[in-house]
Amino acid sequence: MTPSLVREDCRRIIDGRSDALSALRGETVLIIGGTGFAGTWLAETLACLNDDFGFGCKIVLSARGTERFASVRPHLASRRDVRLIRADVRHLSELPRETNWLVHAAATPDNRFHASSPVETMSTIVEGTANILRALDPLSDFRRMLYLSSGYVYGSQPWNLAAVPETFAGAPELGSPAAAYSEAKRCAETLCAAARSEKRAPITVARPFAFIGPYQPLDTPWAANNFLLDALSGRSIRIQGDGETVRSYMYGGDLAYWLLRLLTTEEPGRAWNVGSPHPVTLRAFAELVAGHVNPVPEIRLHAAAHGNAPRTRFVPDASSAQQKLGLDLRVPLPEAVERTLRWNRTETPVSGAPR
Amino acid sequence: MLESSERSPSIDGGPTKTVLISDPSLRDGNHAVKHSLTAEQIAEYCRASDAAGVPIIEVGHGNGIGASSLQLGLSACPDEVALRVARENLKRSRLGIHIIPGFATIERDLSRAIDLGVDVVRVASHCTEADLTERHIGYARQKGRSVFGVLMMSHMASVEVLVEEARKMESYGAEGFVFMDSSGHYLPGDVARRVTALRAGLSIPVGFHAHNNLGMAIANSIAAADAGATMLDGTVRGFGAGAGNAQLEVLVAVLHRLGYATGIDLYKLLDAADMAEKKIIEAVPTISSVSIVSGLSGVFSGFLKPVMRVAAEYRVDPRDVFFELGRRKVVAGQEDLIIEVASELAKTRSAA
Repeated sequence: MTPSLVREDCRRIIDGRSDALSALRGETVLIIGGTGFAGTWLAETLACLNDDFGFGCKIVLSARGTERFASVRPHLASRRDVRLIRADVRHLSELPRETNWLVHAAATPDNRFHASSPVETMSTIVEGTANILRALDPLSDFRRMLYLSSGYVYGSQPWNLAAVPETFAGAPELGSPAAAYSEAKRCAETLCAAARSEKRAPITVARPFAFIGPYQPLDTPWAANNFLLDALSGRSIRIQGDGETVRSYMYGGDLAYWLLRLLTTEEPGRAWNVGSPHPVTLRAFAELVAGHVNPVPEIRLHAAAHGNAPRTRFVPDASSAQQKLGLDLRVPLPEAVERTLRWNRTETPVSGAPR
Repeated sequence: MLESSERSPSIDGGPTKTVLISDPSLRDGNHAVKHSLTAEQIAEYCRASDAAGVPIIEVGHGNGIGASSLQLGLSACPDEVALRVARENLKRSRLGIHIIPGFATIERDLSRAIDLGVDVVRVASHCTEADLTERHIGYARQKGRSVFGVLMMSHMASVEVLVEEARKMESYGAEGFVFMDSSGHYLPGDVARRVTALRAGLSIPVGFHAHNNLGMAIANSIAAADAGATMLDGTVRGFGAGAGNAQLEVLVAVLHRLGYATGIDLYKLLDAADMAEKKIIEAVPTISSVSIVSGLSGVFSGFLKPVMRVAAEYRVDPRDVFFELGRRKVVAGQEDLIIEVASELAKTRSAA
């Protein structure tokens, strides 16, 4: 059975905008990396389009860990319109022949893995993308591919740049293993551009920023996850630094709609920032989280004396997608926080959390 | 539950620069007394250092919780008792542990320590093996503890590698990073270079843990603070492995004179140190000739006592043993190599 909270979100996000996705009607959509955060939200949204709007899409989810997905998300895995394919992009040589639309979302965003295994990180992203691009050739009825790159391709966002536009020419630190993920994403974007030029492959690139919502595992030590986990566990919320670091968070349901809209855009070939344009300081975000928990947890700043916790900013300029494609956010941040907390309380066990 | 930053001196800065002091006398000092600290000694020291307002008191076997073993030395006081007693006697200070994945498991040791009320978890590995700390750091973070990453024997890694390994720990969720001069090998310039590089490469606070083999523990700690480290370790009378650590009461006095705030009451700390010398410290660490060799050869100070014992047994010069161990780049946990080295030296000598 579909979790009602997520289905409610999908209905609300699609409401009045399903026509913009009508190119997907009756088509087969392949999502590589289909069991992760973005992939699962895409599957939920397509399932909702099928159930409530009669889209009749075939949804193919390809990933390394399909068995686990089948056991934890049976409401998706057991659907007649969903097919799971177990595959590793590093060894992929062919794609389902019936594929019409393809979203390539395969890569772990877990920075712990990037730090421990930078070679593996790069190989999965670069070789995986090259393999997918080669495998497009035999598809006879192929329409478009959307590649999920990353907002990290811009390197560190300058503090005085309020929001990063797609034209920003920044870059990660050259020759540093800490740049493995972002450099690999840059390389994969270049591969996509090369395939567009060499094979006339219709590829669009999305550069996702930061997200919250159901299906986001909270164990990755990112600030938002830590705050949510602290709150769910009934602890005080701890902020590293002075709380003035700036982020923006888009809800998973909005992410899925934006991605499907970019997939079906009539002008493939460019890159689009995907994320919330509304900046929020970590302190304000922590207060937002605290406001949804009873009793209200204390917020502790660990403003590491330090001068050593530099303020950083990671906010997209999303005006291209907003203005050219009419995209907006249906789930504002306070509600996104509330729904994320609610989903985590009811849908998945959180260690030590009040249930 | 003690988990407050306001009860320990704030590290939030202000007009004066602040240094967060960790006191591992009841952990590193255990090396110096062959892990024989008793529950009574732990209780008494905790009361005294808590009264002095020492922010973090680290307790356990010299190699961290879960490390009590025939090979590394059996603790007279089991972890569970030590942590319970410390917890009962710390009112203001936070209770810390040192934990080395491999010696300690999450299920058996870390989870129990957290249940016993540990506030600060310092997850340590050899300087090039930060990967081993991911699960332990993640677990302690998820349990809401303050978690620091620690790299030991840091002189065995280049500055660049040290920064890369520290970055891994930050990515795993470490909220601070401490590098240890386990064999007392550094000179102040070595420390300052590393702190500067670490501050540039990390967005979490940097700390330093000194050993005194070359008489540089205080100077090195001050060099660290001047270069921007905001966490320093010190033990009373330098009560730690080998030649001992930065002597805490001296460190605090010097920091105060230099205008750093520690939140520690110096008089009460001096009282705690006097008490410890009388009741806990069998022999105040001195820089023995072998300690100097240990520092020069870059071999972990904790090897001092076993090297002395084994060298006497095989009738070889302990200095030769140290330099050979240094040549082989041994790390803590490889104590069994001492016998191998001593026996080979003995054979070489008899052949000659």
